[in-house]
Amino acid sequence: MAAGGRCPGCGSAALVEDSHYAQQQLVCAACGCVLAEGLLTTTYTEEEHLREVAYSQSTGQKEQLSRCLQRGIRRVQDLCKVLQLPRVFEETAVSYFQRALQHPSFHLVSLEKKELLGGCCVFVTCRQHNWPVTMGTICSLLYAKQELFASVYLSLQKELELSVPALSLADLVKTHLNSFRLLQQAADVPAPFVEDKEKVVARTMQMVELASETWLVTGRHPVPILTAAAFLSWQSLQPGTRLSCTLGRFCRMAGVDLPPPAHLRLKELLEILLRMASQLAWLRVFKLDKKTVVKHIGDLLQHRLFLLKNAFCQQDGEEQGAAALGEGSPGSSPAAAGVAEEKGHPSGGKRQREGGPRPLLPPCLIHPRKRLRTAAPSPSGSAITGHEPISDSELEQYLRGPEEIRAFSRAKAWP
Amino acid sequence: SSLKDDLSTSPQLFAPLSPYDVDLPIQTTEDALFGSQFNQPKELPADFSSVDLSFLPDITQDNKEQNLSEDGCEMQKELDGSIPRNEESSIFMAESSLSYPDTTQASPEASGACPPLTPMTPMTPVTPTSESSGIVPQLQNIVSTVNLACRLDLKNIALHARNAEYNPKRFAAVIMRIREPRTTALIFSSGKMVCTGAKSEEQSRLAARKYARVVQKLGFPAKFLDFKIQNMVGSCDVRFPIRLEGLVLTHQQFSSYEPELFPGLIYRMVKPRIVLLIFVSGKVVLTGAKERSEIYEAFENIYPILKGFKKAS
Repeated sequence: MAAGGRCPGCGSAALVEDSHYAQQQLVCAACGCVLAEGLLTTTYTEEEHLREVAYSQSTGQKEQLSRCLQRGIRRVQDLCKVLQLPRVFEETAVSYFQRALQHPSFHLVSLEKKELLGGCCVFVTCRQHNWPVTMGTICSLLYAKQELFASVYLSLQKELELSVPALSLADLVKTHLNSFRLLQQAADVPAPFVEDKEKVVARTMQMVELASETWLVTGRHPVPILTAAAFLSWQSLQPGTRLSCTLGRFCRMAGVDLPPPAHLRLKELLEILLRMASQLAWLRVFKLDKKTVVKHIGDLLQHRLFLLKNAFCQQDGEEQGAAALGEGSPGSSPAAAGVAEEKGHPSGGKRQREGGPRPLLPPCLIHPRKRLRTAAPSPSGSAITGHEPISDSELEQYLRGPEEIRAFSRAKAWP
Repeated sequence: SSLKDDLSTSPQLFAPLSPYDVDLPIQTTEDALFGSQFNQPKELPADFSSVDLSFLPDITQDNKEQNLSEDGCEMQKELDGSIPRNEESSIFMAESSLSYPDTTQASPEASGACPPLTPMTPMTPVTPTSESSGIVPQLQNIVSTVNLACRLDLKNIALHARNAEYNPKRFAAVIMRIREPRTTALIFSSGKMVCTGAKSEEQSRLAARKYARVVQKLGFPAKFLDFKIQNMVGSCDVRFPIRLEGLVLTHQQFSSYEPELFPGLIYRMVKPRIVLLIFVSGKVVLTGAKERSEIYEAFENIYPILKGFKKAS
């Protein structure tokens, strides 16, 4: 069996060691007869030349996991690589995914949902490490419907009892603005529109902080606020040339989607800025409107803390009633309140005068949508016990008469 | 009620009357232990095999002390509210002066004089009842189920009833509506029925009975078995805006706030087990209750937490 033997078929001594694919074989060069195959190495030196077998292959570690789990883990890992997340995130996400798939509520869900589950685990990991990423981003990477993603995410959060901290908007600013093409030199972008990214990021962060101070962020989708804030910041850095550019055009040039609520957020931000401008001494002479105020955004942001305090009266443990917003306050003297409020001393009277401070409230409370409500049943009025007798006549109204029944069955309305 | 009379007139004040089964026998056990304390002043009775503890469900020393201090309100819930409170607590107080000289040692469950342990599950902090909010949540929807206990021909019902809708390709039940109380019912061929839309438990019961009567009039031998309130939804307004981002930070283990998905914060309260939807406008929706007291209790628990965020802006 050693190299010095003879071929049993033809007796030739020309034996060569060849490998058939990866298997070592002893073959006769004359007649091609295979003498031996699958020789185990006998010396340590021979083993050194071969490639080592990976641990996962030799121990069958991969085979222990089901194919579905393997595929899912690979998908999670790929997603982490695409998002360029640190290595730690990948391990955490994979462990969440494994835990989730073992859970009875996820074990038998559709394949589509299992794919989304991987994305949810990555999303949760990012949020827990305060790594800014939106659901929209993950959904677009997975080609997923947002409602389905939402339902899988919520059940994941509930079943695994994960506590997920709220998304910090300030962190999101940087990552969101990274995708804006206006912040880099590009062929189709006119020169005056290109802007330095750092400046835009800094100003957008201040604008976003202002928005969250003035109740524009709570309860709203974060991305439209970012878009509107970025637009205003970009405009204000060179108002001369950029005031004519609309939000839509800005988004087209930047290569980002224009989310529909962004227009409303823009309007709200401008309203806040205009109120603040009314408190700046050197701006009061100008009749600012929502176009011209953009020129002064830099100043307004610089003094925003002072201006916010003066432009809006803070709620000091008072109940805001819907009545207080529209009508004059009966309690305080209107004359004194009229002068005193301008100076920024918050008083109880809330008047709806131009430039007068309004309460700092979320927009849904400033403009409450009047809904027709049926009168609330008084607790003592409807003393229903649940055991009242039911009259036949009342039930008759719900039963069809014989002619009606005949007409319906003739129409063959039933399957 | 008759129980009240028994209490005041019966000489056997400590005979186990049914609602008091849970409590009064404890007195006798305590007496036994107390007695044993006298006999063995230094040694705690480590072996309780002689004492019959089978009646004790899971009342530990903590619960007992809680019951004493919280004015019997815990017991009130268990006893179905049939006994007036002050009478109950007076019994307890009387007993406490007699048989509880040293309550920590006399616990049948604790071995050794260990202080009562606080439960380790995360509990939403309970507020003292003195600081009531003054706001009462209003019930908006009650969901109840009842068993009509007979198989139903849904096609037949849909043909003979004016207020019925049946589309088997879409949903395997008849959708029936009545005007008073304004409710909707889902009636299944198995005879089970779900009634939704009522504004109170009594209204839900009345509505369910009306549906059952309609089904009876259609010729089916419908009964009215196992009527049960499955879910109650209430809502109210705290009348000040709430910083949801702050609330999710401080109450992370109970809250879920995803503005990308839903504008409100979802707060899962542990005790009582109620889910609250809290919005920036100050409106709060409470759901998941089987009894209206759970809704009121949940709101009283959340109100001081929300008030804490009013000034934090």
